[in-house]
Amino acid sequence: MTMLAFVSSYTPLFDLVLIYSLIALSQYVSFRGGVLSLAPAGFTLIGAYTGAIMIKSTGLGAMAGICASIAMGACAGLLLALPLARLRGVFPAIATIGFVQIVVSLALYAEPLTGGAVGLTAIPKVATTPCLVAALAAVVGLLSVINRSNVGSAFDAIRQDVTVAESLGIRVAHYYRVNFALSGAIGAVAGCLLAYNTYAITPEEFGFGMLVFAATAVILGGRSSIAGAIIGTAILLVLPELARPLHDQRLLMQGALLIVIITYLPQGIVDTARELLRQRRSVRHPVVPARKVAA
Amino acid sequence: MFTQQIINGIVTGAVYALLALGLTLVFGMHRILNFAHGAVFMWGGLIGYYLVTAANFPFWAAFVCAMVGAGLISICLDLLVFRPLRRRKGDELSTIVASIGANLVLITIAQQVTNAQSLRFPFDTFPLEFYRAYGLQISSLQVVIIVTVVLMVGGLLVYLFKTPLGAQVRAVSIDEPASTLLGVNPARVYLQTFFLSGMLAGAAGAIIGLTFNSISYTMGESLMLQAFVVIILGGLGSIVGTVAAGVLIGMIQTLVTAYISSELSDAILFGILFIVLLVRPNGIFAGFHVEHRAA
Repeated sequence: MTMLAFVSSYTPLFDLVLIYSLIALSQYVSFRGGVLSLAPAGFTLIGAYTGAIMIKSTGLGAMAGICASIAMGACAGLLLALPLARLRGVFPAIATIGFVQIVVSLALYAEPLTGGAVGLTAIPKVATTPCLVAALAAVVGLLSVINRSNVGSAFDAIRQDVTVAESLGIRVAHYYRVNFALSGAIGAVAGCLLAYNTYAITPEEFGFGMLVFAATAVILGGRSSIAGAIIGTAILLVLPELARPLHDQRLLMQGALLIVIITYLPQGIVDTARELLRQRRSVRHPVVPARKVAA
Repeated sequence: MFTQQIINGIVTGAVYALLALGLTLVFGMHRILNFAHGAVFMWGGLIGYYLVTAANFPFWAAFVCAMVGAGLISICLDLLVFRPLRRRKGDELSTIVASIGANLVLITIAQQVTNAQSLRFPFDTFPLEFYRAYGLQISSLQVVIIVTVVLMVGGLLVYLFKTPLGAQVRAVSIDEPASTLLGVNPARVYLQTFFLSGMLAGAAGAIIGLTFNSISYTMGESLMLQAFVVIILGGLGSIVGTVAAGVLIGMIQTLVTAYISSELSDAILFGILFIVLLVRPNGIFAGFHVEHRAA
């Protein structure tokens, strides 16, 4: 009985970790592909509103809502890639923050459709914990397949050095578009599930705060592994629940973590741990890498 | 009525330019996009407010102290955030991420200091008089704002292009290793640019706090995003371009709020940003670029 109470009292937190992991994965895709985009919060808003409007005003059910948000998110990503695929450096960062602002202010303005500042309420709760686990597993599966494919190696090359990647004949603009579409689709799924899980959505939850959260989670966990985004999200959401002072100073902690991690642990927790493990293994079995080189 | 709106827009735009100048200065000289600039601006407003209300300073004295205070905060940012990062050869993404973290820290502290309240200057802080001519009206505050902004921009240009200190700043921005051979200490130059940038932000904060008569911990965020649009429109790093773009954005925003809708003004502003990025990513005023970097 106590076990049951324990589980049920932590279900909302667990659900939140699952959904926000998806948002962080949308951010992870951009960083991994060397795109300095901060757009996931905007994609999440688009997905959430598409899903909520679909389920409330058409009788097509939740699956149709999810598919529609994926389509909308991917389209938004492609549209955003149009001006940004040619730009390098800090421009994409500024422009994608602008994109998030535009989407939020349109959601506030289009009151008949989006409910304005009040948002949309009474959304049926169709996304239960098993659904969320399945969605996260599907996205993680998809991303690991992509990471092992040509697209994944192109992303890696572009992240490490755009100029070199271009000189190797990699079509950088093309992979930027793929990247934005993928990030958009994942962000939109996250938004749709958020709407289907929390009964109500307002434009304000998708603003600058969510943008910073997604970036923090990925930087904290590590930019080159899928697990990094998920572990980063879990740390950011669970840590404040463990201790009251941490809960009150949540944002202060988040800000300080960002500064410290990016300066002293730029690879993030998961990637650094992996690197350490690899080093230790190669010390213990020095023959293995040598044989590999010989082969 | 239309001409009146234009005048109001020019005054608001002049203050935007002041805020944006600090951003573009640090970016143009050191390639650092400082996301904590909005928080420094907000602290300028707060310092001004507390000196006027708690210490009974006259407004001009509080204004000067706000500038110096914000300059010092900006110096702390360089010492605590950007310098450790430079030492570890952080890239563009890491400076952006670290400054987002610093922004969060500064905003959270302000939120606790102000108890998340919106603050107002006392009624008689600034003696308001209205001058009327040709059916137009302009207040004493607006005149003072314009004069202050013109003096500051002029002072900045003289400092950068006519003084030995400014020559050092330009030397470091063109080639840091070479400048050290000439006896320039780059660490000190960084402190100078950050102090100047903070001073400009602090001045803008105190002025905006007084004109809109509202100071809150959130005021930095939206204005900083507008300042991003201004610096891109003006051509990143260009001082004259930034002033022109600031005035232009101020006018556009005033007109949109007056004749279309205040809710849409953000969407229109960032829409302009996207069009500029698509058509002229170097900014529409890039033709007036003041030369301070090697080609």
